Amino acid sequence: MIVANYVAAGILFCIGLLTVLTRRNLIKIVLGLSLMEASTYLLMVSMAYRRHSTAPVLTSPPDGKSFADLVHGDVADPVLQNFCLTAIVIGVAVTAVFLSAAVRVAQHYRSVDADDMTALTG
Amino acid sequence: MSAAATLLPLAVVIPIGGAVISPLIARLHRTLPLIVGMIAMTGSVLVLIPPAGQVYSGSGHVVVHFFSAEHPVHGKLLGIAFAADPFGMMFALLAAGLGGLLLLSLLSEFGGLGEREIGGLACLVQLLLAALIGAALTADTVNLFVWFEVAALASYGLAGFFLERPIALEAAFKILVLTSIAGFAVFVGAGLLYSKQGALSFAQLHNSLLGGDSRVDLVALALLIAGFGTKAGIAPFHGWLPDAHTPVPGGISALFSGLMVDLGIVAIARLTLQVYGAGSGHAMLGLVTGLGITSALLGAIMALAQDDLKRLLAWDTVSQMGLLLTGFGSGTEEGVGGAAFQLVSHGLFKALLFLCAGSVVHSTGLTKLSEIGGLARRRPVVTAAFTVGALSISGVPGFSGYASLSLIHAGLEDQPVIHALALIAQVITVAALARATWLGFYRRREEEYEQLERTPIGMRVALFVVGAACIVFGIFPSEFVDRVVGPAASILLDPSGYSHAVLAGSGTVPVSTLVFDYGKASDLITTAIEIAIGLLVAVIYLRIREPRPVTWLRRLHTGSVNDYAAYLAGGIALAAGILLGG
Repeated sequence: MIVANYVAAGILFCIGLLTVLTRRNLIKIVLGLSLMEASTYLLMVSMAYRRHSTAPVLTSPPDGKSFADLVHGDVADPVLQNFCLTAIVIGVAVTAVFLSAAVRVAQHYRSVDADDMTALTG
Repeated sequence: MSAAATLLPLAVVIPIGGAVISPLIARLHRTLPLIVGMIAMTGSVLVLIPPAGQVYSGSGHVVVHFFSAEHPVHGKLLGIAFAADPFGMMFALLAAGLGGLLLLSLLSEFGGLGEREIGGLACLVQLLLAALIGAALTADTVNLFVWFEVAALASYGLAGFFLERPIALEAAFKILVLTSIAGFAVFVGAGLLYSKQGALSFAQLHNSLLGGDSRVDLVALALLIAGFGTKAGIAPFHGWLPDAHTPVPGGISALFSGLMVDLGIVAIARLTLQVYGAGSGHAMLGLVTGLGITSALLGAIMALAQDDLKRLLAWDTVSQMGLLLTGFGSGTEEGVGGAAFQLVSHGLFKALLFLCAGSVVHSTGLTKLSEIGGLARRRPVVTAAFTVGALSISGVPGFSGYASLSLIHAGLEDQPVIHALALIAQVITVAALARATWLGFYRRREEEYEQLERTPIGMRVALFVVGAACIVFGIFPSEFVDRVVGPAASILLDPSGYSHAVLAGSGTVPVSTLVFDYGKASDLITTAIEIAIGLLVAVIYLRIREPRPVTWLRRLHTGSVNDYAAYLAGGIALAAGILLGG
């Protein structure tokens, strides 16, 4: 765990959220969501880190480490890193859908302002 | 591990296979996606039957399949596992069966579309259903997150699929923004829980949480409840739900309301009752009940005030999901069993109502209650089906809602305030549905419709089967309570039993004492009074101008995606505050 990274992740998340809550431009909303997403990756990878640990590759130990060190858990947590990779893949797909929706909105409404899209209320 | 357990993954794999094949085979002939979809969903139901036979034999069993044969070692389970318990199996069967019918109805309604469109539609629907079945059967948090995201991606596609009405784009953008934020919440929640407890599977998490919940665990729980609450359309996370249901065709609304939102409810029920455990004594059940009853009231009031038929039904979904959460939050066997039963009843009657609404929109081209009317004479079958749905939702004896509502209300008897609020929500729901049925169907309409198209045959089949199911569940609820709902409630309320069973690879569910008595006089009287007051409220509401508080509530729903995201973020902060403070 790295405290500075947690703080950075928290700040990035808040900047992203602030963008989503205050900006009306759809592209900026998408950017804000991407920023929030990136901050969650930073959080996950930082939680996976352990002091003086190496990458979770268990086949050939790096110099100065024996195989026993790796087996006894002197590696970063691979589960959280896996979790993170899964989320990155999903995130790419979602961003693609997001941007195609924004393009469609721009074609239909000739605007990317969220306030022009408030026909559904109440 | 039994042979039947090895069939569990197939229940998800077959619809995903169908989803891949449908768009490819659509190029050959446009009816082929329908055939592939029906084969896939029938196949999914069929492979669920042998494990379901084991799950519901005797007092109930838990059947577990470990992927890649990664069995638990010393009580630790990191591999992916599917654990079919009576609760999850019930929802998986509902999703596969009802989902297949809705697919039939949708593809026959849109049989005239181009090959690419019909292939894409079949693909998205099957993907959504596969995700729902997976979420019902899964036994770990990361896998649950993945199914959540698969369902979310499919729902984005479905919400924005039909662009004849540009508001579909608006709805799609709102569902994208809110569900994405919900996805982050679920992701971070699951990650925090793992890094604190070192466990992914529900069973192992429960065992390690027995030592007491730290602040990190509570923040994780708040994030998970908020994330899945967004999927379920629980207030204040509900901004996307009414909007997403308004512009899409009836079949897709039925899919969203009848099945997809339940994913969130199933996940919250599992996380609160089976992972954190009802006995853990913190503010969790209070939070769930509070969110539930707020949604139940808000949804019912907003439904009463709507003019758009499908939007009205969507608001009623918010209300019903709230009622479900209230039932699960009660932590009593009646409440939890009633909520599990209502999950099935709601899936059936809401699908029926949305199919009727879709059929009305399809044949008249009108969506507003003030513009339609007099359909009882012109469309008797659809009117009968809608009436069955409205009677079920109102909890009239003989229809599917009666037993589940009576059980939920019985489970709330220890909490008089919540019970009273639930009764009020039910009265307003009766009023909202009575108003909609009167205005849309039974009111006289002198002028003829400009267009009145026939209802496609697949849609009529779906209407008939789902309507019949509503009546069957209404007439024979005791059997269903004994065999399915009772075991589902007892496994939800026995977290240590569940975790033992999953880690051991199989296990038996404790014997349930839940019974449903059809002739209980107090239930019948309460229902009669509720319906009488509900009808009175409907008559009064038809004659007066919109009351001020209702206008204020409507103004809160500005339609701006920024505002809805703000409600969601505020809701997450509130949930975390309540859990940490309690």
